[in-house]
Amino acid sequence: MSSLSGRLLLALSILLLLFFSITIAVLDSAFRSASEKAVADRLEIQLTGLLSAVEIDDYGGVSFPDELPEARFNNPGSGLFGEVADENGERIWRSGSLVGLGITDSHGSLSAGETHFEQLTLSDDSGVFALSLGVMWELSEVESTRLTFRVAERLEPYYAQINRFRTQLLGWFASVMLLMIAAQALFLRWALSPLRRIESEVREIEDGERAELGSGYPRELKGATQNINTLIGSERERLTRYRNTLGNLAHSLKTPLAVLRNGLSTPDMSPESAGELQKQIDRMDDIVGYQLQRAAASGSMTLGHVAVDVVTEIRAVRETLDKVYADKRPQCTLDIDDSESVQFFGDKGDLLEVLGNLLDNAYKWCKGAIQVSLKSVQKPDARRPGLSLVVEDDGPGMNVEDTRLLLERGARADETVDGQGIGLAVVKEIVNLQGGTLQLLRSSLGGAKIAIHIPPK
Amino acid sequence: MRLLVVEDEAPLREGLAKHFASQGFVVDSAADGTEGLYFGKEYPADLAIVDLGLPGMSGMDLIRTLRESGKEFPILILTARDRWQDKVEGLQAGADDYVVKPFHMEEVAARVNALLRRTTGWSQPVLQCGPISLDTRRQEVCVHDAPIELTSYEYRVLEHLMLHAGEVVSKTELTESLYEQDYDRDSNVIEVFVGRLRKKLDPDGSLKPIETLRGRGYRMVLERYSA
Repeated sequence: MSSLSGRLLLALSILLLLFFSITIAVLDSAFRSASEKAVADRLEIQLTGLLSAVEIDDYGGVSFPDELPEARFNNPGSGLFGEVADENGERIWRSGSLVGLGITDSHGSLSAGETHFEQLTLSDDSGVFALSLGVMWELSEVESTRLTFRVAERLEPYYAQINRFRTQLLGWFASVMLLMIAAQALFLRWALSPLRRIESEVREIEDGERAELGSGYPRELKGATQNINTLIGSERERLTRYRNTLGNLAHSLKTPLAVLRNGLSTPDMSPESAGELQKQIDRMDDIVGYQLQRAAASGSMTLGHVAVDVVTEIRAVRETLDKVYADKRPQCTLDIDDSESVQFFGDKGDLLEVLGNLLDNAYKWCKGAIQVSLKSVQKPDARRPGLSLVVEDDGPGMNVEDTRLLLERGARADETVDGQGIGLAVVKEIVNLQGGTLQLLRSSLGGAKIAIHIPPK
Repeated sequence: MRLLVVEDEAPLREGLAKHFASQGFVVDSAADGTEGLYFGKEYPADLAIVDLGLPGMSGMDLIRTLRESGKEFPILILTARDRWQDKVEGLQAGADDYVVKPFHMEEVAARVNALLRRTTGWSQPVLQCGPISLDTRRQEVCVHDAPIELTSYEYRVLEHLMLHAGEVVSKTELTESLYEQDYDRDSNVIEVFVGRLRKKLDPDGSLKPIETLRGRGYRMVLERYSA
């Protein structure tokens, strides 16, 4: 069983079932013995009535009136029977209700004062409760005889009562139990709702819709949620620190490179050696630049990124490049479906790296027109939509074959590549980390066309 | 032209200062953000070069503070972290262009010239007033397409006058853009430079490109062509 609430509900149902079974068994046996006691009491009253009806006849024998005060003794089928036996066990009297029947007796006659309450059978095999009493009956002052009085009642009414009781008991308990299980299911839902909230919030974090778990969790879960938040925070911090370290590394390497490069312009150096040093410095610079940018591309593996609005960032990059290329002032048109916002689920720096490199290339090479098309890519069962970004210009177009080869090689920085190549390689790296693809095409505007597709996930 | 250089790395700062001084710029150098802010606020800079990775007050904060206090001179960012996020943030903070370290000095010079030209409304690297053309990239001056040899001070005076063609430029303004603060203002050096310029640009006196407005300053009177 994989569900917590399922487990709890099962355990609780078993417990309830056990409790009710024991309760039912105890109640049932108590009711039975009470019922039996009631039958015995009733029979004792009838026995007393029978004893008081005995008369001594003129011959010194025992005799009964034809009609007893208790009418049920006289009615056949009334279910109440009576009989009297002498000391030999011979029946000397039978009630009118016993016509055609006889009580099968195991004891015969009883000694004086001896009583038995037991279940006996009639000659038609139906069962009765019977109360028997042995009595020493004084016929005269000197003569007495031993008699056994017995009254009996049919079992059917007793069993009917027991069954009625059981039906009622089971009916009530079953409905109470169902009610309790249903109520328990509701309580569990309520009690476990914080767990479901964690689940949905973690999902939102994965989807980039929220940065950390919210507050207001119950005491027992606070530790766990705080730990999750700390984990997300430290992961993010680690990445930031990593980035900063890389940035510092860049700074510490590039500034000396800048110093070296500018030292080359001193006149007391031969042009050949200056040229060679210059070449080596440029190469070192390219290596540092490429490896740092590559390492800084974080991809989508980390938790806790908030989704970034792509259109806003495109506008920011365009504004930046409009300033930088103020002399050229190319017309950069955005072809964006305004009906839905397009979002990038990853690091904002990565997105800016992609946009910056692509747009910078376009601004650099275009004659005057740049076209940026952006749309969201939806899939019915995907949790987050993908995106499709196309940047094209009317410039001379890059040598598609060369660039493609360069990208396929993975843009090793120790090869001689120009800035465009490094930029594109970094873009490809980031797009690949997002599970997407980069295509180099020729634009209908005349220049390069770079299409990026990040699939929905 | 007065230039503010804010860079914590001494060799680079000195290299930049030396290079631009040799081009006839007046250079104020600052080693950190706070010092940079002081110079930016107190001295009439025409342009600032700001390194983003400064100790103390960061370059980004410096740019923001300068812009907030109403300083509108162009700002060129130097950055070692060539992540686009830094560039975009820097330019959104108020900078106008960036150069990624390690840079070629010529590249910085080209960006600086382009920015200066742009802020005075020239959209092309070649300033043209009448028959006089001044190429800010090559620092070449031609009259009727014939190149003219100028010293760097003469070049700066002419550039300043041409950038502000049609406007009156005071002697103080020219002095401040050519010399450090403590220079003797009464000197007639500016008059000498203008005199030499007139002689070189207009040897036969037919052009009369620079007008003297007594007590107020000088003005480039030739019509400006904007491409």
